[in-house]
Amino acid sequence: MAEWLCLIGGTLFLLTGIVIFAIELYGAYHYHYVLNRMHMAAFGDTFGIGVSLLGLMIINGVNFTSLKMLLVILFLWCASPVSSHLIARLEVATNEELETHMEVEQE
Amino acid sequence: MSRRKSEKEYEKTFACHFFRWLDGEKDPFIGQVEMQQQEAFREGEGDAERRLQEKNILLNQIYGRKKSRSIRNLERFYKVASVVFCGILIYLLLLTVSFLPPIGVAQRPINNEVSARYIEKGLQETGAINIVSGMILDYRAFDTLGESHVLFVATVTVLILLRMDKGKKDYAGVSLEEVEANDRRYEPKNDAILQMAAYLLVPVIIIFGVYVILNGHLGPGGGFSGGAIIGAGLILYLNAFGFEKTERFFTEKTYKRISFCSLSFYCIAKSYSFYTGANHIESIIPKGTPGAILSSGLILPLNIAVGLVVACTMYAFYVMFRKGGF
Repeated sequence: MAEWLCLIGGTLFLLTGIVIFAIELYGAYHYHYVLNRMHMAAFGDTFGIGVSLLGLMIINGVNFTSLKMLLVILFLWCASPVSSHLIARLEVATNEELETHMEVEQE
Repeated sequence: MSRRKSEKEYEKTFACHFFRWLDGEKDPFIGQVEMQQQEAFREGEGDAERRLQEKNILLNQIYGRKKSRSIRNLERFYKVASVVFCGILIYLLLLTVSFLPPIGVAQRPINNEVSARYIEKGLQETGAINIVSGMILDYRAFDTLGESHVLFVATVTVLILLRMDKGKKDYAGVSLEEVEANDRRYEPKNDAILQMAAYLLVPVIIIFGVYVILNGHLGPGGGFSGGAIIGAGLILYLNAFGFEKTERFFTEKTYKRISFCSLSFYCIAKSYSFYTGANHIESIIPKGTPGAILSSGLILPLNIAVGLVVACTMYAFYVMFRKGGF
């Protein structure tokens, strides 16, 4: 019984992750501006991978492999937002026509 | 095409777009994704003259064509000799192809006892559980020696092309000091978020790289992959904290010493093992129990040497392309 519950729960999480990846892919090609696309990519990198690996961890049960997956999630949650932040920073630093895309607060 | 819809209506539907995309009539990227076309090459006034002048400077000052006659003769000889050499090489290679066995015969030389021996006696002879490590660092260590030297030669070549010396101003009117001042114009400068992430991640990445290197003979991994991980960690550290921090522990001198020591250690260690193996002398290096971390003879130290070379090469490439010197 417990095994079935684990399987069903894990599968639900995995399916959610796949849906999130689909949304990410759609968004990355739907939007045209770099910051919107970066947002969609970062969304899949953190939330999508987190949910899918959580599903795999539930199916796998408590063992060393699950711990490794947890570490992968932690690593990606540290690294992916930082890289998105750097892309955004570079865009702000190099794009001279930033006002055409968004409202810019004047300091 | 559906009969109920007119052609104009059909052109707006998803199916029409999809099939047009499938047939390759419409590129989905054009007009959708930010792309900038490269500007056409246009030659300004005096560009051709300047180019000719530069070519003359190159020929006269660097290759010294005007200086001596022997160099001109050597150039002519070089052209002829390169063509002759290529011709001979092509002839030899084609000749070798004619000696190759036909395809699909059971007695081909590839179906020999070598691969069977690797699988059957690999663990016993090399002491490595990971048979791939046992192959690349024991049976075929000479090949891996060449690979690590290829990395070193690649760094040296990049050094020749991109190196800038301190104090000189020959590099298109720019000195190394100016490049250093310009270095962080587009790079993240003292970014608190990046620094915090690097502060947390760099030790983990480097420890993971060390783990991969030290476990090369016990599981998947080895010098090449572990060295690449360590190099990536160093590059992240450099990006977050800048050259002042990395140059405290990694300068050109460090690169020289690490590369020299690793490559020469590799050469000496494998020379010893080839010498003992060829002369049927018992090697003094113990094999150890398979599965222990200190086992499998020379494979672990050789993995460390290869890992150091790879990590240094990756870091040196990055530094060279970013600044042109350590």
